[in-house]
Amino acid sequence: MIYFPQLSSGATGQFPITRQRMARTLVNQSCESYNVKLADPGAAITEWHLAFGELSDQEVAALEALFQAVEGQLTPFTFLDPTDNLLAWSEAQNQAAWQADPLLTVTGNITDPLGGTSAFQVSNPSGAILMLQQSIDAPASMNYCLSVYARSDQSTRVWLVRGSETTAAAISTEWTRVTSAGQLQSEAESINFGIALDPGSTLDVFGMQAEAQTAASLYKQTFETGGVYTNARFQSDALTITTVGPNRHSCELDIVNVEHL
Amino acid sequence: MFPTLKTGAVIQYPAKRKLQFVTGVIRFLDGTEQRYRDSPSVLHTWTIQLSLLDEQEMAALDQFFQENQGRFASFPFTDPWDGTVYPNCSFGADTFAFQLSGEMRNKAALTICENRS
Repeated sequence: MIYFPQLSSGATGQFPITRQRMARTLVNQSCESYNVKLADPGAAITEWHLAFGELSDQEVAALEALFQAVEGQLTPFTFLDPTDNLLAWSEAQNQAAWQADPLLTVTGNITDPLGGTSAFQVSNPSGAILMLQQSIDAPASMNYCLSVYARSDQSTRVWLVRGSETTAAAISTEWTRVTSAGQLQSEAESINFGIALDPGSTLDVFGMQAEAQTAASLYKQTFETGGVYTNARFQSDALTITTVGPNRHSCELDIVNVEHL
Repeated sequence: MFPTLKTGAVIQYPAKRKLQFVTGVIRFLDGTEQRYRDSPSVLHTWTIQLSLLDEQEMAALDQFFQENQGRFASFPFTDPWDGTVYPNCSFGADTFAFQLSGEMRNKAALTICENRS
């Protein structure tokens, strides 16, 4: 799998980051300003403008290696949106993107910590640890941070699943945002994120979020797509790198994701 | 409905509102002219510039843009000046861009157009 590299800080981008969505609508306008519109959802495009400064030799070499591997704008690579939640359907655990172990019960419409009713309750009535997780098509070897709001009237911990690593996080009767971050030694081309429940426990859960960075940012709700773009390309055949001193490089690049290509 | 910010507002200063008539004008050789309405009523356009949004507010706008497939779909929009609800409005463009210049420092600009019903 060819993928956009992370910086040594674990981040994919530096501020400022610009993202642009483009749709395509055919419009037939009459002389009296009446419109007849036709959508073309397959032509949707997402673009990012990334500006990097103070890159090290190693970081700029990784960018250059990717650019050479994909031969400019010729071939696609996987890009993890640094501004988004990588998980799809972050508030709809009944969607097919989520895999719940048999016997695990999930109930929605629970009051959430942001004042809405988008949290859900997860119960494990069995005698074994059960998981609710989602797999994304992204290299397991990158830095990731999984974060989730959780509370429980009876349990004192929740297990956070980040690939092959499972860590326990303490929770209480109040909403607490717990995180699990780090990098795995794995060559797998997909990674799963989720929670695991101790036997007999019940939790209220909200705002599950995975990000390709080392710490959690504000929670972002997602719907049918998360921030994983497997058909991204460089927008240009040229990559210009400016070096202002030893081990000090900068560059700007545009990435575009076009599903219909 | 068009998403509101956490303050409950939909727009920030400076805010622009445009009213558009379409008038046909025929000028004659002697300088006189005849004017006629080329559309049945006025159409409104709002230019919304937003800054210092947090990631959740920006995600809501982004999702709303995707749900509407750019300028294809229509939705009701409440004029922030007088509270009038215009039931048939659309995004003015097929493009929606935002810039993230730091944590909780998003900015974006978009245009909402009233459609002829």
